[in-house]
This record gives sequence, C-alpha cells and structure tokens, in this order.
Amino acid sequence: MVKIMNLLPLIVVYPLIMAIIFNYIYKSKVIRILALLMALSLIILPFLGSYGTYFFGAHGMESGLISGIAYIFNPAKQIIIFTLMLIGSLVLITGIGEKRVNGLFVSLLLMGLASVSAVVLADDLFNIYVFYEIVAIVQTGLVIASGTEKAYKSAFRYMIMGNMAGSLLLLGIAFLLSATGTLNISDMHNYLANNPATPTIYGGLLMLIIGLCYGSGLPPFHTVKADIYARAKPFVASMLQTYSKAILVAIMLVILKLFGGLSYFNTAHGALIALSIFGMVFGVVMALLQSDYKKLLSYHAISQVGYVAAGLAIGTPLGIVAGIFHAINNFIYKSALFLGAHIVSQKKSSNLAKLGGLLPIMPTVAFMILCAKLAISGVPPFNGFQSKLLLAEAAMNVNMPELAIIMILVSVGTFVSMMKAFYLIFLKPCSEEQIKEYKTTKVSKYSIFSLAVLTILCILLGIYPDIVINQITPYANEIGRIWTL
Amino acid sequence: MILYYDINYDIILILYPIIEIAIILLILVMNMDLQLASFITAGILAIVGLYGVFFVDNVLKKIIALSALGNGVNLTLIAIGYKAGGIVPIKMPSMEFTMFATKAVYPLPQALVLTNIVIEASMLAIMLALSIVFYKKYKTLKASIILKED
Repeated sequence: MVKIMNLLPLIVVYPLIMAIIFNYIYKSKVIRILALLMALSLIILPFLGSYGTYFFGAHGMESGLISGIAYIFNPAKQIIIFTLMLIGSLVLITGIGEKRVNGLFVSLLLMGLASVSAVVLADDLFNIYVFYEIVAIVQTGLVIASGTEKAYKSAFRYMIMGNMAGSLLLLGIAFLLSATGTLNISDMHNYLANNPATPTIYGGLLMLIIGLCYGSGLPPFHTVKADIYARAKPFVASMLQTYSKAILVAIMLVILKLFGGLSYFNTAHGALIALSIFGMVFGVVMALLQSDYKKLLSYHAISQVGYVAAGLAIGTPLGIVAGIFHAINNFIYKSALFLGAHIVSQKKSSNLAKLGGLLPIMPTVAFMILCAKLAISGVPPFNGFQSKLLLAEAAMNVNMPELAIIMILVSVGTFVSMMKAFYLIFLKPCSEEQIKEYKTTKVSKYSIFSLAVLTILCILLGIYPDIVINQITPYANEIGRIWTL
Repeated sequence: MILYYDINYDIILILYPIIEIAIILLILVMNMDLQLASFITAGILAIVGLYGVFFVDNVLKKIIALSALGNGVNLTLIAIGYKAGGIVPIKMPSMEFTMFATKAVYPLPQALVLTNIVIEASMLAIMLALSIVFYKKYKTLKASIILKED
C-alpha cells in the first residue's frame, strides 16, 4: 500500500515550477503559447499517480508514527483535482483570448491550482495550513490584478480577515498538536478515538471551523468573499470560487475524518449545519436584491457553498457523496455562469439596468448560459438536479425534513433571481442604437469555447451522474458515519 | 463585516506594556513557570491583536495589530514545544538514542513557527503595499474613510 515514489507529486510540483517560470516572461506572444501548452498539460496531471498513501521526507514511517509529508490519493480526490485542473485550464484558455495577457496572472493561477490540489491531497495539518495561506494570498493577488480601486479595497478587507482567520486556524492546529502530539491526520484520528476529550481539543475543533468558514466563505465571512468575487474579472472569479469550494471540501473532510463518530462531535454537526443554512439563505436573499450581474452571481456562489457544506456536515456516506458531487457540479456550472458574465460584460457592462436584447445577437451563448442557469436552480436533466436530489435525500435519511425543505426553497429563490437576470440580459427590449453598439463589440472565441465545454459537462453529468458518484462512494463510505436524529 | 469603530483604544495599548512588565517581574522575582508566563503573554498579545483589528480606526495600526495576533500564535506554538533543560533536536552520531529522545525538544512547533513567519511576512507586505496605494489616493490612513463600503 505504501509507495515510495511516484509521479503523483507532479500535481503540486509542476504548476508551482511553471508559476515561477511564468513570473519572468514578459512577451505576451510567448505567454500565450506557453499558457496554451500549460492548459493542455494540466488536464493529464491527475492521471499520472496511482492510488494509495504517499510519504515524502526523511524518515517515512518509524515505529508506527509517521513523520514527514503525507499524501493520500484515491478516486474521489482524483475526480476533484481533475475538475479543478479542467476549470483551471479553461480559465487559462479564456485568459489567452484577453487583450492584455500578464505573466503574473498565469503564475498566480497556477500557484493557486497547485496549492488547492495540495490541500486536497494532504494528510497532515501542517501542509494544509501552509497551502491554505498560499491560496488566500493567491486569491488576493488575482483580485488585485483586476486593477480597479474597488478591487484594492475588497482585497485589503479580505486580507485583514484572512490574516486573522489564518492565525486562528494556526492556533487551532497548535491546540490539536499540544493535545495529540502529532499533525498527521490519520495518527491524530487514532489518538482522538482512543482518548478522552479535553478542552484543548474542543478549542482546536472550534478554530478549525473558523478556518473552514474563512476558506470557503461561510458566514460570518460571506460578505468579504462575495465582495472579492464581484470585484475580480468574471472569468477570474470563476477560478476564485472553484478554489474556495475545493478548500471547503478538503477541510470539511479533514474535520469529519478527525472527529466524525466521536460523542462530542454532535454539537459541531449542529453548528456546521446551522452555518451552512445561514450561508444558503443569506446568499440567495442577498442575490435577489442585486442589480449588478457579477454581484448576483457572487452571492449565488455563497449560497451554493451552503449546499455543499450542508451535505458534508450531515456526515453520512450519502451526505458526503452528495456534498462532493454537488461541489464538483458547482465548479462546473458556476464557472460557466461566470464565464457567461465575462462574455456579457465584454459586450457592454455587467450592470443589469444597462443590458437587454442580447438574444438575437448571440443565441448560442444565451442557450449555454440558460443551461447553466437551469443547472444551478436544480432543473432536470442538468447536473445540479442530480446533486440537489441526493442532498435532499441525505437530509431526509437523517430525519431532517426541515433541511430538505430549506434546500428546495433556496432553489426556488435561485431560480427566480436567475430567470430575472436572464430576462434583463437577453429578453428585455432595447433600442436600435444599443443593438448597433452590440454588433460592433467583439467577443473572444476562447471564452465561448470554454463556456461550451462546461455546458456539455453540465448536460453529461446530468444524464450520467454515475460517472462521478461511483468514484466518490468508496471514500464516502470510509469517512461517513450512519446516524439519525 | 464592519471593520471600523470610533472607540477610544488607548487604554488597552497602555495596559498591554504594564501587564508585560508585571509578567517579567513575576518570572524574575516570584520564579514563575516560564511556559505559563509565555501562554499568558501569548493570550494577551492575541487579545490585543483581535481588539486592534476590529476597533482601531487606522489601517497601519490594524496591520500592526494583525502582526501582534500572529506573534501571539507563534508564542503559543513555541511555548507548546518548550521543555525545561531541553536540547536542540539534532541527533549527533555520538548521542545515545534514549538520551536524545528524552531530552530533545519537540521540533514540529518550531517548524510551524518558521513557516508562519514567512507566510505572515508576505501577507503583511501585500497589505502594506496596498495601504501605500490608499494613502497616495486619500491622503489619510483612516480605515473609516479608506475601507468605506460603496
């Protein structure tokens, strides 16, 4: 089972090295070609390593205790990383089509991909903390790269919160380290399962949850997170929200692995489910109020984080399958929506009051955006329907029909605001001058290509959800605990 | 989230050094346990940091408060790894293993602290750079003006 060396570390190492190289390239033609090659090679990475537990570092396993970096790779993590890399490469391809291509942007994006993959793969809290902080820095950098003053402001706010939450997360890790004497998650789980709980461990769990909330954008950090999505360029925002959700899945799985099944975890279950409900409801209510398309989408991103967190917080095998599957679907359709917003704002702006009448100008794009909108509201036959159905089923199985009802109500709210946005962008009648203006502005073909790939995936996963579910189920059975209220 | 309040913050900034001096006196005069003293100091640092982040209306002071919070966490980690009469956790060939295992301090917290210092330095650098940009634009460092929601 234990492998000494494999090509698995390339998932982390290759983007990191390329990030350093891209930092020193200034000619935009070279950047474009290299970025295209990067985009193609990123997709192959998750298939290079074989499944199993990996140890890197000097000592390996010594008298039952593990020292050094530990990675665990299994089909569930493979599919998460594959989706992540796919969206990363599609965003890179979209970035190539932009007028000004910056080496720093590509470098930050690759650094983020490497760090998020490392957080997903890692089996020790040390690694998770380091790469978690790098993701926070990368997200700030990507927001700053959009260059507006508002972006600087939200980046600063995000940074203050990030520094604070990062310190608190480290404090939690310190508590857990002092209580258990190790940072390896498997060892720590064994210790926690066989020893009585102490206040230090409670403190550690609380701090881990604070770190999780910041990393994913659950309340109380939802406003800063929504702010950075809205201020970044829309196609960058699609990457930012993918990072956040992958971090959510990774850290939530760590918490479940460490504490799942322990008697004192029931309270934390309740707290996590409450947080996710707040996230869902706040997100959708705020989204209904927005008049800016980017802001609307950002608040929906928060709302969807609530769904993923609810599924994972339930903690049964079905809940975990539903949560991870919804996260993967979310990567896909939310990125499609942000890319759609990118295309729309290239035409005119992202202010819903100024838009209208775009349907005759670009019917195919409108169709693809409609598909993504139906997917996010949970309409069959798109992928959102499949995972929302699983989520509601998981909630019903633990005797929480209230949770299922809230999920359905929030879905209705999502549908309403999405259809409102669709009407205002594509169907609302507009003047002749505006149509002339639409015809003169061009949209890059790269972004339409990326949108098309994501739309096809939406429909494909909606019709054949088993492609993903079969991959996740073994891992969910390993981590999940069966319980009812 | 609200990041600025106009509250008089000087009290805690004056109290903090007094408490620090009191702790140093406790260590020197009363022979207080070094680990306990570090935990108390770390707690004070963290509280001052959190207070400063939320209630001080100055961008630069917010950054200083954040670094105080980070240092509190660092001190906690160092105190966890502390061992009275411990030795450096590097095993020389001449050392006996049991002696090394009982005496050496735990190196993991120190590794975490080193990593945290690097990360924090980069984060603070970005924040300071941003505050320079803000200062050039607004000619002030008041967080209530700079970070105003629009």
